[in-house]
Amino acid sequence: MAKTTQRKNGAKQQLAMVFDLNKCIGCQTCSVACKVLWTRDEGTDYQWWCTVNTQPGRGHPRDYETMGGGYREGVSQPGRRPTRQEWGGGWQFNYEEVLFGGKGQSVFLHHVGEKPQWGPNWDEDQGAGEYPNAYYFYLPRLCNHCTKPACLEACPRGAMYKREEDGIVLRDESRCRGYQFCLEACPYKKVYFNFLRNVSQQCIMCFPRVEQNVAPSCVRQCPGRAVWFGMLDDEEGPVAKLVRKWEVALPLHPEYGTEPNVFYIPPIGPARLNEDGSFDEGTPRIPTEYLESLFGPKVRTALDTLTADMTKTREGGKSELMDTLIAYWWKDMFKPYDRDPAEIQWK
Amino acid sequence: MKAVKLQLATRTLLNPAAQQWAKVPAEEISLASTPLHQQPSPYVRAAWAGKPVGAVRFLKVQAAHNGKDIAFRLEWADETENRDHGDGSVFPDAAGVLFPLNRDAPLESMGSPEAPVNAWYWRANLPEGEGQNVIARGAGTAKETPKSFAQTRARWADGRWQVVLARPLTLDGEGVQLSPKQSTKVAFAVWEGSSQERAGLKSFSKSWRELEIR
Repeated sequence: MAKTTQRKNGAKQQLAMVFDLNKCIGCQTCSVACKVLWTRDEGTDYQWWCTVNTQPGRGHPRDYETMGGGYREGVSQPGRRPTRQEWGGGWQFNYEEVLFGGKGQSVFLHHVGEKPQWGPNWDEDQGAGEYPNAYYFYLPRLCNHCTKPACLEACPRGAMYKREEDGIVLRDESRCRGYQFCLEACPYKKVYFNFLRNVSQQCIMCFPRVEQNVAPSCVRQCPGRAVWFGMLDDEEGPVAKLVRKWEVALPLHPEYGTEPNVFYIPPIGPARLNEDGSFDEGTPRIPTEYLESLFGPKVRTALDTLTADMTKTREGGKSELMDTLIAYWWKDMFKPYDRDPAEIQWK
Repeated sequence: MKAVKLQLATRTLLNPAAQQWAKVPAEEISLASTPLHQQPSPYVRAAWAGKPVGAVRFLKVQAAHNGKDIAFRLEWADETENRDHGDGSVFPDAAGVLFPLNRDAPLESMGSPEAPVNAWYWRANLPEGEGQNVIARGAGTAKETPKSFAQTRARWADGRWQVVLARPLTLDGEGVQLSPKQSTKVAFAVWEGSSQERAGLKSFSKSWRELEIR
C-alpha cells in the first residue's frame, strides 16, 4: 500500500505518470481522449490539455521552451504568455456546408477564417538529422502537477491549490479572475486562458475519475501500453520503481525547478548508420546531448541502465525493469486505478 | 471633491458624452504606481521588479447625483483602446472607484480583514453597461458580490477613455451606503491593459480623498 510521507508543499501523497518514449507511437489517442472528455465547452476549442509533439520540434505552444517562468535557485523567473497564434488550433471548418448543407460531393472540407499558422501538432514527424540518420520521437505533455507548482504560487488570489490527498493541482474557477499570472509562471506553458469565460484552465488529472479509482483518460486510453499511473509514494508500484528505484524515468526540463510529477523513459534510438550501410554501434542516432537538453544530465545513467538491462535480457537473463517496461498485464500499469469507467453511473 | 446634485435622469448621468457633465466641477488627480511589496504573489514581486507599473498618471474625475443614483465620470488619456485580450498579449483596460466600509480601512492594501473596502469596477470587456461590485479585505481577496448594483457606460475617442460608473446611493446589499449631505472617503484606480496591468498592477490615487455629497 501507499506509504504516506508529509511533503513540504502540504501534499501527503503524489500521483504521478511515467511515459515510455520508446513505446509512444504518436497516435494522439491520449490527446483526443482528453479533448473529448474535458475541452468541448465554450472557449476551450483551442485548448489541448494533453498534446503529443514530435521531438526535436518547436512544441505546443510554439517555442514554449523560450517563454520563461519556473524557478532558478528557488527564485521565480519572469515568463510570458503565449499568444493565440503561438497556441494555434481551435480552427473553424466548413462542417455545416459539407456535412449538413448538401455539398458533400462538391466541396472539400477546409478551414474557415484566418489561415492557420500553428497548431498542437504542427511540425509532426519533421524531427532532425539527415537521411539516413534522421531521427525523431514523440513527447506527450500535460500539466505536470508539480511538487512546486509555479502557477499556484503566482496566483495573487489564492485561486489554486494542491490537494493534500494526491497532489493534484486544481483551480477554483470562482476565485479566478483571468489575470493569467499562472500562464506566465508555468515554464511548461500548460495553462490555457479561456477568452470567452475570462478564466484560466488546465489539466485536472481527471480527478473525478481518480476519485472513483479510474485512471485519467490519457492513461487508460493509451493503446501502446506506454504510460504508467499511480502514487509516487507507493514503493511497490511501477511508477515509484521506474522513477526512484531504477531512476530510468525523468522529468522534462528539471532545470525549470518546479519538480514535475510526469516522468519520461528516454528514447533509445537505433545506432547511426555508416555510409556503407553498416551500423556505427555505440553512436546513437538521437544525440545524447539532445536528450540531456530535455531531461537533464541524469539521462545518461538512465540510458545506460536501460541499455544494460536490454542486453541482459537478450542474453537470456531476467530483468524486472524490462518486464515492467514490456507491461505484460495492461491493468498492472495503473493499479489500483483500474476500475472500468463504463461500470460507473457518472453524475 | 464634491458630488453635485443635478435634476437629471440616471440615463443621462450615465452618458459620458452628455453635455451636462461639462458643467460639473472636475478634479485632476495624480495617480501613482501600486507598491510592489504589497503584491501578494511572490511571482509578481519577482517578475515585475524594476519594471514600470501604473502607466496612467492623471485622472480627471467628476461626480454627480440625482437624489437616487450617484455617478462618477472618469476620463484619462490612453492611446491604446484595449477592449479585450487581443491576441493574448494584452488585457482589457479597466477602472475602479473605491470606498472604505470602515473609516479606518487602509487604501494601499485594499482594506484589511477587519476593515473591508468596496470597489465599483468597470472593465472594457464586461458586457455593455455592466459593472462589478467588489468587496475586498486585503490584497488578493477582492470578491464580486452576487448582485452588481453598478451600471457603467464607456467610450473611447481621440486617445481618451471616458467612463461613467453609477450606482444607487443606498443599497439593499453589500456595499458602501451613501446619502446626500454627507461625506465619504473615496479613491480611484486605472489599469492600462496594453501595459499588462491587471489585478494589483495598476495606478491609483495614493490617498483617500474626501467626497462631499451635496
